[in-house]
Amino acid sequence: MRALTANRLADGEVVFWRGGQWVERFADADLFAPDDPAGEAAEAHAKTQPTLVVEPYLIDLTQSQGLWAPVSYRERIRALGPTNLNHGKQAEGGAAIEALLHAHGAARSTGRVDLIKRK
Amino acid sequence: MYRYDHIDRDFLADRTSEFRSQVARRLAGELNEDQFKPLRLRNGLYLQLHAYMLRIAIPYGSLNPTQLRKLAWIGRTYDKGYGHFTTRTNLQFHWIKLADAPDIMDHLASVDMHAIQTSGNCIRNVTADPYAGATAEEIDDPRVWAEAIRQWSTVHPEFNWLPRKFKIAVTAAAKDRTAAKTHDIGLNLKRARDGSLGFEVMVGGGLGRMPYIGQTIRQFLPATRLLSYLEAILRVYNRHGRRDNIHKARIKVLVAALGRDEFAAQVEAEWEKIGQGPDLPDTELARIRGAFAPRTFEILPAVSETFEAAKLKTPAFARFARNNLKPHKIPGYTIVEVSLKAIGATPGDATSEQMEVVADLAERFGQDDIRVTHEQNLVLPHVKLDDAPTVWAALADAGLATPNMNLVSDIIACPGLDYCALANARAISVAQHIAEKFADPDRAERVGELKVKISGCINACGHHHVGHIGILGVDKKGEEFYQLTLGGSGAEDAAVGQALGPALPYDRVADAVDTLVDVYLRERQDGERFLDTFRRTGVAPFKEAVYADVH
Amino acid sequence: MPTFISLKDGQFSLAEDRFTSVGDEQSIPPGDVIISLARFQSEGEALLGQRRSVGVRLESGEEVEALAYDLPEISVVALAFAKFGDGRAYSSARLLRERFGFKGEVRAVGDVLREQAGYMVRCGFDAFEPADGSSLEDWRRASQRFRHVYQRAADGRPPALVERGE
Repeated sequence: MRALTANRLADGEVVFWRGGQWVERFADADLFAPDDPAGEAAEAHAKTQPTLVVEPYLIDLTQSQGLWAPVSYRERIRALGPTNLNHGKQAEGGAAIEALLHAHGAARSTGRVDLIKRK
Repeated sequence: MYRYDHIDRDFLADRTSEFRSQVARRLAGELNEDQFKPLRLRNGLYLQLHAYMLRIAIPYGSLNPTQLRKLAWIGRTYDKGYGHFTTRTNLQFHWIKLADAPDIMDHLASVDMHAIQTSGNCIRNVTADPYAGATAEEIDDPRVWAEAIRQWSTVHPEFNWLPRKFKIAVTAAAKDRTAAKTHDIGLNLKRARDGSLGFEVMVGGGLGRMPYIGQTIRQFLPATRLLSYLEAILRVYNRHGRRDNIHKARIKVLVAALGRDEFAAQVEAEWEKIGQGPDLPDTELARIRGAFAPRTFEILPAVSETFEAAKLKTPAFARFARNNLKPHKIPGYTIVEVSLKAIGATPGDATSEQMEVVADLAERFGQDDIRVTHEQNLVLPHVKLDDAPTVWAALADAGLATPNMNLVSDIIACPGLDYCALANARAISVAQHIAEKFADPDRAERVGELKVKISGCINACGHHHVGHIGILGVDKKGEEFYQLTLGGSGAEDAAVGQALGPALPYDRVADAVDTLVDVYLRERQDGERFLDTFRRTGVAPFKEAVYADVH
Repeated sequence: MPTFISLKDGQFSLAEDRFTSVGDEQSIPPGDVIISLARFQSEGEALLGQRRSVGVRLESGEEVEALAYDLPEISVVALAFAKFGDGRAYSSARLLRERFGFKGEVRAVGDVLREQAGYMVRCGFDAFEPADGSSLEDWRRASQRFRHVYQRAADGRPPALVERGE
């Protein structure tokens, strides 16, 4: 599965695509099957919103404690917050945050690879 | 310290107004991100993992209490109550909103501060010896020259769109506390035989993907010709530095490609064409120099009875004095290193409360003078020995008195994957684990001087190439791995570290450092620091020990 | 006739462009033309002999020294910004003005945006073809943001250290 993420322009907050809106909690994000063109369609649409978000991209997900979580460690940090302080989204706590905290993933996320290529 | 006049203040007002209009255009969609990004970088604003990061300029690492209190207030008001001091002596806030940035710039301007050119392909913050004005070692006060260069480079119309970033450091003592040889330009103040002041000019140092030690292109540049010579170097770079590949765009690549002598010849040829026109007039130099003249120091005996008695009475204070106090040129005074490396804390971070403690101490005991070092600590450069015990007690209460200057737990670490969009791996937690292994201050002192430097990616903001032990975060199949190097140095004996062996996974790094220290303690001969032992034995005993249990 | 933004005696105005920019593959029309450096090096002498005004366009990697000998005859040097962040044209403009004493028009062409107007004016550009739809008023405002400057450049504005001496 995949999700679409970006940073919100006005405040830099990590956000996720949900039915045409941008939400702050990964747990609320729309999920796209790997071959579902709706993922690419959402990404294309997001790129037409330069005054809302910066650099939207799709990320790969993996299963964790019955929920979905980003495969890439970097993306889990974006979805949670830094590991040195209990700041950011992780401060909310709860099952969804726990699932993110316990996720494993050795593979790079597609989104991360794309970003590296772009640089 | 330098005092802004109405010209400097008008300038900040015009700059913040310009930035405000640029932000408004971006938010309204009149500028796209490609057009806006270089503009916000030139005002210190990055888009990082969680939010925008604002890098505030602390010119040559120098602050007064009013400024430090304002930074504390900004941290509280616009961020999460803490900031991070960097290896270029700037301050970063990690949780900034773009929409707030123009207001923050106004608040900074109200205390003569800014974020101008702390990022982007332009001339960055000029750094200098944090002990300037306090150490007996210096030829001349490097801050005077750093301030002259700061003004000359600020919104320089010809050199604001360089092939890549450009970093200048000014050092003036035999001991280099600026890592000048790893800068694009390192300036080493010296005196000619006739006593006249000048600079040894080193060009082409730099860390990152390909570390280089700077090469001397001119042994002695008369100080009165400094700005025209810098213009010559920058013009040669602006015209001929590579722009086709971001990884080959620093001046170090140009110097390496041309060779030192050819590069120097091109600079000299350009300099000659620039000619003997007015450089920095004596009146302006005197005005800047006057601002840095020290306040009167009291006439005190070299030995302070209060100080000596406190050391006898309180072993913890004696340990602090041993490690964190440095000799001052005036009898009865000392330089106090304020450690931002408490065991288990984030290296280089200070809370707003801690900033206010330091501001208060500088005001009451320190001639309103605070410095930031490139090793991510603070300094109170002018403290009476008589006051040192009181200062220590206040620092200790605030978690700022860890007696670990230059010891193994005085670690440099970039923010890394916890905050930075460029990172491959975390640096902060690696630093914390290592520091915890050496939490015992006796053990740390027994080990002695050992500079551990950690970067979360090849951009080397943690200066890992010049660590006695350098640690570089790499991404191996999505996992955090770390490449260790040994024998680097950022001081006057500058050197790039040598690889230890294959990269290690995250959970083996702190143990590896422990093992390296054990090898050092076993192998060392009289008076050798870790660096000295490594230079004598080479990598073999260290590599063998760390990788012994791998197979 | 296309227009461009012209700066004369500190005043901005919209000027009619009597020059035609001619690509290397096109035949040269009558009237005043701006041609590439390569074309100028092969045909420039002939064109100048025809009593028309000739301008030369330099790409970012082309050096002004190549024109040094002919500058007295050249009416316009158009310095191209391949990307707005490619700052070589700023050095080129300053050298034209300050080293070679060029009195003709120095025109900014290519990826020319109003946020860089101030840098361009200080380096000696006096003609601008904005690529971002900037109006005359936009350009004037963007280039006049700073009441003081810290260093000397081609525009002759006194730097702060001179202002302080007064």
